[in-house]
Amino acid sequence: MSVTEYDVIIIGAGVAGLTAGSLLAGRGFKIALVTSGEPTACLSTGCIDLCSRDHNPLCGIKNLPPEHPFNLVPEKTIRESLDNFQAAMSEMGMPYVGTTKENRLVLSALGTFKTSCLVPSTMEAAPQDANDSIHVISFSGLKDFYPSYIISRRKNTNFSVYDAGVSSTMGIASHFEEKEFFEKFIIWLEKIDIQEDKIAFPAVLGLESAVEIVKIISILMEKPIFEIPTIPPSMPGRRLFNALKDYFRKKGGDIYWNWPVIGVEKSGKIIEAVMTASKGRPNSLNGKAFILASGSFVGGGLTATREAIIENVFNLPVHVPGTCETWFDNDYFSFNHGIGRAGIKADSSLRPTGSPWENIFVCGSILADTEILKNGCGHGLALATAHVAAKSCMEYIR
Amino acid sequence: MNFEHCIRCTICVENCPVFRVNPDFPGPKQAGPDAQRFRSDREKAEDEWVLLCSQCKRCEMSCPCGVEPAQIILIAQQRYGREHPHSLAHLLFANNYYLSTLGSLTAPIANMIAATEMGKKAFRAMGISTHIPFPKFRFRRLHNEKKNLNRGRKKVAFFYGCFINFYRPDIGRKIIRLLSSLNVDVVLPTQWCCGLPALGNGNLELARSFAKKNAASLSNYIDAGYDVIYTCTSCGLCLLHDYPGILEIPQGKKIAENSYDIHEYIIKLINEGYIKPNFGEVRRKIAYHIPCHLRALEIGYPAAKLMTMIPELQYEILDDACCGLNGSYGFKKSNEFTAVQLGKRAVSLIRKTGAEDIVADCGSCRMQLGGISGMTSLDPAEILCESLGIKDQK
Repeated sequence: MSVTEYDVIIIGAGVAGLTAGSLLAGRGFKIALVTSGEPTACLSTGCIDLCSRDHNPLCGIKNLPPEHPFNLVPEKTIRESLDNFQAAMSEMGMPYVGTTKENRLVLSALGTFKTSCLVPSTMEAAPQDANDSIHVISFSGLKDFYPSYIISRRKNTNFSVYDAGVSSTMGIASHFEEKEFFEKFIIWLEKIDIQEDKIAFPAVLGLESAVEIVKIISILMEKPIFEIPTIPPSMPGRRLFNALKDYFRKKGGDIYWNWPVIGVEKSGKIIEAVMTASKGRPNSLNGKAFILASGSFVGGGLTATREAIIENVFNLPVHVPGTCETWFDNDYFSFNHGIGRAGIKADSSLRPTGSPWENIFVCGSILADTEILKNGCGHGLALATAHVAAKSCMEYIR
Repeated sequence: MNFEHCIRCTICVENCPVFRVNPDFPGPKQAGPDAQRFRSDREKAEDEWVLLCSQCKRCEMSCPCGVEPAQIILIAQQRYGREHPHSLAHLLFANNYYLSTLGSLTAPIANMIAATEMGKKAFRAMGISTHIPFPKFRFRRLHNEKKNLNRGRKKVAFFYGCFINFYRPDIGRKIIRLLSSLNVDVVLPTQWCCGLPALGNGNLELARSFAKKNAASLSNYIDAGYDVIYTCTSCGLCLLHDYPGILEIPQGKKIAENSYDIHEYIIKLINEGYIKPNFGEVRRKIAYHIPCHLRALEIGYPAAKLMTMIPELQYEILDDACCGLNGSYGFKKSNEFTAVQLGKRAVSLIRKTGAEDIVADCGSCRMQLGGISGMTSLDPAEILCESLGIKDQK
């Protein structure tokens, strides 16, 4: 009997890894998840983009180029993965609103709209057009959140600034969870004579209890309240990560923090274990199958050198879009940087193509040809491919 | 140093417990990799705020790029400590080992004085916080315990640490009985403070002198075929991380390779087939608070693995909150506000679970969480003992 023998080892604690892990753990498999640091999901807006290229995200997916990994996922699985996500988040007290039938709009800190499919309930009341009148509350010293940007783009918009005593996102968010601060803030808020229909806040309304806080303010002010996502540190991103992580653990999964994989044990066509650097001596975890959800460049799954792009864990063959000269577009803000297509090519069961191993499955942003920024499909693709990878894993183990 | 790898993503800032409540601390990103660019050997260190870092290592655990902000800050703290006079509280806590030796020798008197209003006033005058009661000294230290040999094939040298030795030797004695019930020989090597409190108070030289003495003692046991077992996760982190690292102990690598957390070791024995413990029911509902330094050891949560094998035990893992005490950090009056705020938050998360008892590997976490909540706080080894029917021995 071995206590550290697992059915499936998942590499990466992002949306894809945690979702695949929860699915498998929920079916009674023994799952370990190893991660090197926290995922880029923490830096995200917390919104689940499925495909932002069309008003109907599923139609948008149909129009994606044939090599896009969404084409490996049946439409039924895409819908199922988003339904499961919504159910899981509701269970964790962090409900998401939206449907796969139409995208929603989220007001950004610049006053522009971001298109997304599912959004946290704290952003539900965000205006869906240019008409609603909005009162923006800002906090003195809060970096990179300037209501004037929003006002310059919208009619009937006003703002007020509150001095929270601290100016960092974390500091304000943690203050909002203290009763004393909250009461003082509400007294101040009630004193401003807000004429507008809705009240907007930067996304700093608490960490653990944001849903509750938004609800309370909205009842007290008798107006819809919504959050505007900020640049990192992003509270909605962290709430998403925390909820997914707690859900995974609730389903019985084990998380090994800061276990960068430094080697693998293999025999024939099978990977048997991953070795990780830890303090003192290397550790290893045995598994029957492995799900690689280590993310793209920022997440740490891929590294680019001048000559090649390397997959960091299993050294899988990487699909490289042309030579190094074609990786970047001349326009910095372009959506067409070739490097956005780099990643791992996979078959319909999400086994990497051209790899010698039969018990590895890949999901999430490490897949090739995702062009996540251009297609607006980050977390949605992670959820959908995580479902496929988890199913393939189950079939493989059986 | 790898500070150049920082991409300024701020994930470390989100994880920093001190930054959350104390605006005077600029956070791990600015205090670590950002400020590192401006630190010069030719100028006197003026970054006093580095002392506000509690060295919980949460930033290092969360960094996606492998930067070690806490390590960068630790080095800056040592430098600040070298170039500036130390406050009384810093000096006292760095030398905690010697004070505690004195305290336990005069236990009844020392405890009595510490509990009086006068004593508390004196503590505060010295810059020591009294937000939770100071732990009680025990006259019968673990230090005086006999070794326990039953000729098992597995032999361990138990590095019990100051907390167990001076304040809770009863837990130490339980652990010895637990290990011998698993057919493991236990010896108690000659040992001193691991050195972490000295390091945390910017006293590198003192830390190194403790470490050298411990290393010489432990190294002999390792050579004789013993594994080193620690139960305090902070001592463990010091042995594994700081001995071969900042303290530059020659035997550091050997000690790091051969030291195990007690629960990690029990799992190792189970995996090797050496033991098949028969865990009995424990009817408790517990919140398992993960000490920051257990996370930082990068060994997973071995005690939680063992708890899954105990029938009827209901437990929930909580690893998002730091208890705020961080050993001597929260006992300094200058950090009292931070410690109390963080402690309250950790306790509120524990209360949410509906648990009856708190379990934590680290003595200082138990002291803080138990002190603030008034709940019973136990060592995971005590749960194992309960499950295996190992009773207290007077």
